Amino acid sequence: MGFIELNVLNNNALQLAIGIDLGTTNSLGALWKDGRPIVLHPEGQSGYVPSVIYFPEHGEPLVGREAREHALIDPAHTLFSIKRFMGRGLAEVAADAATVPCPLSETAGGVIEFEMRGRKYTPQQLSALILMNVHNMGCQALGGLETTRVVITVPAYFDDAQRQATRDAARLAGLDVLRIVNEPTAASLAYGLDKKGQGNVAVFDLGGGTFDISVLSIQDGVFQVLSTNGDTHLGGDDFDRCLVEVARRELAASLPKDTLDDPAFLQLLRLGAEKCKIQLSSDPEATMHVSLPESGVQWRRSFTREEFDALTKHLVERTIDSCRRAMSDAKLRMTEIDEVVLVGGSTRTPAVRARVEQFFGRKPHTELNPDEVVALGAAVQAHVLVGGTREILLMDVTPLSLGLETMGGAVAKIIARNSTIPCQATEGFTTYVDNQTGLDFNILQGERELAKDCRSLGKFRLTGIPPMPAGMPKVSVRFHIDANGLLTVTAKEESTGKLARIEVQPMNGLTDAEVEGMLKIAYAHAREDFDARRAADLIIELGTMMRATERGLVHARASLDRETIRDIDDAVKQAHAAIASNDTKQLQTARDEFERATLPLAAVLMDGVAKAALAGKKLDEV
Amino acid sequence: MPRQCKCPKCGAELETPLGCGSCGVLFSPAPSPGPFEVFGLAPAFEVDARALKQRLLKLSRLLHPDYYAAGDDATRATAERNTALLNESYDVLADPVQRADWLVRSLGGPSESEQRGMPKAFLVEVLEWNETLEAARESQPSSPPRAALVQLDATLRAQRDDTLKTLGALLTPLPPRAAPALAEARAQLNALRYLEKTLADIEALSVEQASTR
Repeated sequence: MGFIELNVLNNNALQLAIGIDLGTTNSLGALWKDGRPIVLHPEGQSGYVPSVIYFPEHGEPLVGREAREHALIDPAHTLFSIKRFMGRGLAEVAADAATVPCPLSETAGGVIEFEMRGRKYTPQQLSALILMNVHNMGCQALGGLETTRVVITVPAYFDDAQRQATRDAARLAGLDVLRIVNEPTAASLAYGLDKKGQGNVAVFDLGGGTFDISVLSIQDGVFQVLSTNGDTHLGGDDFDRCLVEVARRELAASLPKDTLDDPAFLQLLRLGAEKCKIQLSSDPEATMHVSLPESGVQWRRSFTREEFDALTKHLVERTIDSCRRAMSDAKLRMTEIDEVVLVGGSTRTPAVRARVEQFFGRKPHTELNPDEVVALGAAVQAHVLVGGTREILLMDVTPLSLGLETMGGAVAKIIARNSTIPCQATEGFTTYVDNQTGLDFNILQGERELAKDCRSLGKFRLTGIPPMPAGMPKVSVRFHIDANGLLTVTAKEESTGKLARIEVQPMNGLTDAEVEGMLKIAYAHAREDFDARRAADLIIELGTMMRATERGLVHARASLDRETIRDIDDAVKQAHAAIASNDTKQLQTARDEFERATLPLAAVLMDGVAKAALAGKKLDEV
Repeated sequence: MPRQCKCPKCGAELETPLGCGSCGVLFSPAPSPGPFEVFGLAPAFEVDARALKQRLLKLSRLLHPDYYAAGDDATRATAERNTALLNESYDVLADPVQRADWLVRSLGGPSESEQRGMPKAFLVEVLEWNETLEAARESQPSSPPRAALVQLDATLRAQRDDTLKTLGALLTPLPPRAAPALAEARAQLNALRYLEKTLADIEALSVEQASTR
């Protein structure tokens, strides 16, 4: 089965949508073009945007390659792996927080805030900066063609809070999210596995910070996810951390504890560890360097691949545990898996490849670049969503069960994990007291039996129930998980047909009002920046105009009437006043006024220039 | 039975009350159609699993929100709602236990909360099975109580198949509304729920056992 060819670039701009892989380590954009997905990169540049942010002393934060270059020189003002903080509270990210070189706090709604250079940033705002960078790079690559429509990928095992955070980040970046797609599913699209006809595929996706395993059944262009499992806090970062721990242990004798625990120092170690790990994927042995000139420390340590494998074995086994659960949920035997696909930079680690091959009993696919395949798949899905083809259909699942807390702290499951999305469930509620007009419930996501062991998506408050005797109202609450894997809750009182209102206080998430507020601030900043730039431009322009007028008047004063000269003098005075004010509006008025006042002068000058030019020429040369 | 057979817009035969495969228009029927109606099928206990799956894929290609992503808010919301209903209906029809549960309720039979009883002969065995499972849960991996689970798993599967057969016979052909057979079907369903829950527990235990943690 082939894709329908559609030359999007010749169609109107509405037909475009960019696929974006918002990764823990790198982010990347891709687009469907000439019948296939391509990575977007400006001419002569790589399209990768390292998911790194640097905060300079003055001016706006730097994102991507530029930011990464600063990481080694000024680790104290560089942030990595923002994705691991998305939709999470401080208590859940203790290990990651230890390497963050700036103060962390939490908003009232449990959203983490990073404080850099006196300003606070949520993970959503920081991810928005990365998204904007990828989007800009994509638009550059498209030669100025613009679209704000995007498809963004997330780990399949991301829960509702993490997906909401990703969607809010896109909103803050001014992007229009057509769909949030699961990374392993996107990867299977990029591989075009439907062209092989029918079969079952396991996609093993080990990225910089997250791990997913998805089992799919592919048939006639339909990619149906049977099950998914994973760990949103397991990835290359954790492999690096194993080496960092060795370094800290061995450096403990020569460095004070303050230095060993210093987040900036830890980032330095992390970068050294990452480099060493990458080299170990191709060489049997590699050296990790750490240089601290101010402490006189030059640490070099050689690691063999065997030692590295032993240090990280427990991490690899955790991925295999997830694979086992996914296979059990898919109700497939190992022999029924036709293809295994490796995705994510961390699958370059030889021990990971070997273990996956051993577990599934077949050689995994590695033909496509594991760092690009997710973005490419997002572009395929974007192509479907803008109406480019109906030959492909993605049927994904919700990774975690959804439930309600019952009396006594147990969980009543209402939507089972691995249900095909969009999916829905309706639950009936009633009141316990006469004339009760509100109901509170706690919505949970997770597989454990007790509410305290599952993740709360927030407190939902149902209000506006008509006053009736206890037990009389029949409130039906509908839980809908949409094609993005996002939950919405609506409620109706059945006897009156009245819609009850649901107020949601998201856990570790931004409310709509908060997103609006951040957008306003960002807009105000942009407006300020724009105004400042415009004022500077106008001052330069006025200066040039005044100098030209001064020079012009030397030759042309005699040809102008008194009124015009007075007009010009007034305009010059107004211009000086405007420059002193540095006010954009006043500068603009002064500039326009100056242009008007000097028109007669310009005409005289042009006339003179023309006469002079014509003086020495024959008629046919004109 | 499908209450509307022709598309009001183009006049084509409808395969589902949720949308027209011919002109691509989506409908929001009220009240919400039941699972058999969504799939354009007459209610029955026996369902051809393969044909049902093919129909799910076919109807998904018609209704899925991916194909309406560029549409207006109302169209996108309808596509979301209809596909959620399609998937919910599929889950009911594809699983014999849920399917039978729906049939019993739609024919006015007792609900699970109205009748909690299981067949008498079954209850004696339940006690024994529970003991085997508890012993396994409290013992180390690879110990004899764990090994006993393999036997229990086989026993329960055989029992499930038998119970499904009994249930199928009670519901084929469909009994009249509020017939006594429905109460008996409910008892069989309660037994099946127990069997499925226990089989899932055994599966979870064996996955845990294989895990390293």
